[in-house]
Amino acid sequence: MTGNYFKVGIRVLVRQKGYTLLNVAGLMLGIAVFVFIYLFIESEIRYDRFWSDNEKIYRITNEYSLEGNSEKIALTPFRLASDLRNEFQGVEEATNLFFTDPADENDVSTITWNGEVFEIPDISLADGSFFRIFDYHFLEGNRDSALLKPNSIVINSTTAKKIFGDKPAIGNKLRTNLREYLVTGVIDMRQKPSHLNFDAIVSVSSINEKELKNLEHDYFWMTCYTYVKLADTVNPDDFEYRFNEFERVGEAAFIQEEELNMVGSMQYFIESVSLVHFNSGLMYDSPTNVDVGALYVFAVIALFILLTASINYINLATARSLKRSREIGMRKVLGALPRQLAFQYIVESLIITLIAFVLALALVEWLMPQFNQLVDKNLSLLDSLVSWEIFPFGIVLLALLSILSVIGGSFPAFVLNSFKPAHVLKGTSFSSGKFGKQQFTAGIMRHFLVIIQYMVSIGMIMATIIVYSQINFLKNHELGFDAENVYVINVPRDTNFRQHINQSMDLLANHGSILEVTSTQNVPGYTEGKMLFQVGDTNAIPVQTINYFGVGYGFFRLLNIPLISGRYFNDFPGDDTATGFILNEAAVEFLGLDTVVGVPFNYAGKKGGKIVGVVRNFNSSSLHREVDPMVFLLTPHVSRYIMVKAAPGRLEEAELHISDTWKKVTSGGTLHMISLQSKIGSLYSGDKKMLNLFFYFSLFVVFISSLGLYGLSSFLIQQRTREIGIRRVLGGSEKQLITMLALGYLKLVFLSGLIATPIVYFLMNKWLEGFAYHISIHIGYFIVSILLALLVALFTVLVRSVKVVNENPSVALKVQ
Amino acid sequence: MNIIETSSLEKIFQAESVETIALRNINFNVKEGDFVAVMGPSGCGKTTLLNILGMIDDWNTGSYFLLGQDVAKLKEKQRTILRKKNIGFVFQNFNLIEELTVYENVELPLQYLGWKKKARQERVSALLEKMQIAHRSNMFPLQLSGGQQQRVAVARAVVANPPLILADEPTGNLDSMHGEEVMNLLDALNKEGTTIIMVTHSQRDAAFSRRVVHLFDGQIINENLNKLD
Repeated sequence: MTGNYFKVGIRVLVRQKGYTLLNVAGLMLGIAVFVFIYLFIESEIRYDRFWSDNEKIYRITNEYSLEGNSEKIALTPFRLASDLRNEFQGVEEATNLFFTDPADENDVSTITWNGEVFEIPDISLADGSFFRIFDYHFLEGNRDSALLKPNSIVINSTTAKKIFGDKPAIGNKLRTNLREYLVTGVIDMRQKPSHLNFDAIVSVSSINEKELKNLEHDYFWMTCYTYVKLADTVNPDDFEYRFNEFERVGEAAFIQEEELNMVGSMQYFIESVSLVHFNSGLMYDSPTNVDVGALYVFAVIALFILLTASINYINLATARSLKRSREIGMRKVLGALPRQLAFQYIVESLIITLIAFVLALALVEWLMPQFNQLVDKNLSLLDSLVSWEIFPFGIVLLALLSILSVIGGSFPAFVLNSFKPAHVLKGTSFSSGKFGKQQFTAGIMRHFLVIIQYMVSIGMIMATIIVYSQINFLKNHELGFDAENVYVINVPRDTNFRQHINQSMDLLANHGSILEVTSTQNVPGYTEGKMLFQVGDTNAIPVQTINYFGVGYGFFRLLNIPLISGRYFNDFPGDDTATGFILNEAAVEFLGLDTVVGVPFNYAGKKGGKIVGVVRNFNSSSLHREVDPMVFLLTPHVSRYIMVKAAPGRLEEAELHISDTWKKVTSGGTLHMISLQSKIGSLYSGDKKMLNLFFYFSLFVVFISSLGLYGLSSFLIQQRTREIGIRRVLGGSEKQLITMLALGYLKLVFLSGLIATPIVYFLMNKWLEGFAYHISIHIGYFIVSILLALLVALFTVLVRSVKVVNENPSVALKVQ
Repeated sequence: MNIIETSSLEKIFQAESVETIALRNINFNVKEGDFVAVMGPSGCGKTTLLNILGMIDDWNTGSYFLLGQDVAKLKEKQRTILRKKNIGFVFQNFNLIEELTVYENVELPLQYLGWKKKARQERVSALLEKMQIAHRSNMFPLQLSGGQQQRVAVARAVVANPPLILADEPTGNLDSMHGEEVMNLLDALNKEGTTIIMVTHSQRDAAFSRRVVHLFDGQIINENLNKLD
């Protein structure tokens, strides 16, 4: 019997080619989008799940609050790991990994081997426990001893390949600008998505003793990520409480010893390592971390798109039930039981879904490179199909196939099973009696489903327009400084270069295409630091934690940041260094200062400094954030960047000059340069990615809904051929008839738009609240979206109605 | 023995506010092996009566016994089982399933009865042979003439050897030659012992029956015996 179901199912689908094509196309697109989103979300969930002791590993984060200014950060003091290791029972291992600026991919270190220079982006520091917690696969070397001795370095396989090719790396000596390291291990990080990102790790014991002592002493110098592996017997909450209590005692002693006036608190938290990737609310955290809310949004979109595609199938099938009612009636007369009929429908649905699945997977495989580019990932359908790490994707697909087939088949089966064979076998009017009522109910259900489809479609259009407008707004928003024609060059972490940085800058400036050159420690758009400051010369006033911006001479002039009062930093080296401070307006307000210029101002615990000027607020980070209070320090000796402002219209010339000069001053070193505007633009890369995804998802969902509406309206309009013939004979004009046919569907679309509006308004307002600067949602966005959807729907419905209306009435009247 | 017994059967169609009495006070008995023609003008309730007898429609009051079973007391599933074992249907518009071949259409009732494949094959092939449509067994209904389609429909109706055949204007869509062929088939079946109740407008078709029942406005107005064995 089952074979018979398949045979009949295939014949039905082959006979109704157009109908089958519409269904397969819609489902294929729906499934393809679902698979893309699934793979995307799965790739995020895979982060940090592969460690052997995954559930025992925790990261420590902290939230401090000073004078009402509180901040959550991923960094902790260096000393925390040793406290944990030495003072607590149940701590199996504790380690720390030093912070390297993850937001600046141009910030590279150079390594020399065999006279050849290699650029390595992220070299971090960790102690011997690191590889006992994070059990990377060691291709060479031994995890237990790799980071024990000073001047040891463990590199990842990519770095090893870059430097040594296929030769063994272990035992070789690599030279940085600071010292020489012995390669003690090569690890394989591929296929292991983790929030931990580094190219090489050197042993902490390589740090000189004095600096190490400072690090071990300080309770407030946040430099490291701290990880701990707890014994099974330890209750994490209890542990968190105990070590907070312990640290508080040490902090109090440190404050007293250093004579700090600190009013505030510091609270440590522990989080499971597999959740780190989903924590997007901390400063100095891994840039690969994601907002879990966005993942939920994508999951909901995936389900909605799938729902939209399923609705097509259900609607077409129930609409066509009229046509099949005679067959079903006959089967009933011949003794088919309801479940046998339902099974017939489910088999037909299964065949369509199966075809759609195969085509969808082929489509996914075909479009994967483009999708990877869109989401900046390296996803692979085949890898996921055979991967058993999280949840077997094959099983997800099978489950999806079954669910779609059953849903798609049981709705029409339900409608058809309610037919009384007596009504359908002998031409009883479809619009009268109980049968008419059943059809009426089925019609209402179809309308309801169309409304859901268009709600999703219009909602997606609205969201896309709002995201687009917001990003446009950000692009055009006045930042408070002039980023145009400004280039940012990364200064090599080479003390030799820094010693001659002024001569290099002179050479760079010495060209007609260059207007200004300055060195600086911080640049807008890059990571900023926070420091403890104190107003006044005594510690009578409590310390404050404020963002600081280390700049060189000429920083404000180059970026055209206006002075409100006082002066810029003096152009005499040494004059303002460590003693002169410039504040922005937000800092003045934050500190509640009436007179500003000349007020004593210092690093916590230091004396002799003062405020020399106040500059206008500017947005140094993304417009997601308000302008933070900011202290500018003069730090030409630790410049990480050189900023070059080129003359308008002479950018090519300037770039060529910079590149030539760089070769000279670095003896052929690589130039890492980026335009400040594109760096600022990259702050919104996440938002732009979201816009792109919304745009494509909208296209898909609108297209799928249109396919459905086309199929449904075509069928139902065709059913009315005879009625239209009669109306034409009675004098109905083409225009009147087309309007009559189209209006019913347009009303549904309009209603969908009305329902979608408040929902989108609420959700998008929530999204916009994530920006300190944002557009306000305008009614025009909704009107445009609804009009757009109406236009698409009108076109879709017109295609068939024009054809039917133009049919010769004499032919139309013959249609039964 | 009566294969069918109805007593005071009444059927009312309710559409919005309009109530139409389709059948009233129908006392109708049919003996095993009988061939009854039901005649009357359009809308007199012939088909409604046939549908009720075939358990594909309900009635409002009165009783109906089929093969000694009180149909009113049967659940839908029990009616389905009773129907598929005992009744074959022939319709004016054939009601063949377009997606199935001639062979598969005839085979379908046996599938629903749970016959084994081999038994089905033997039965269907023999029947198609007998009905002289074996050479069309792989064709689809739309590839056949009306007469051929009705032959298939008759074959499908009798394939499970039901004791009762309900035929609703079986020649209504056929020309006289094909109509006569079909009537000859029904006649032959009746002679083999199958009870037949046939709704018809045609005096010629009614002439094949043994008894003619006349319906008018939902009531049996007279009955007469047509011919003797």
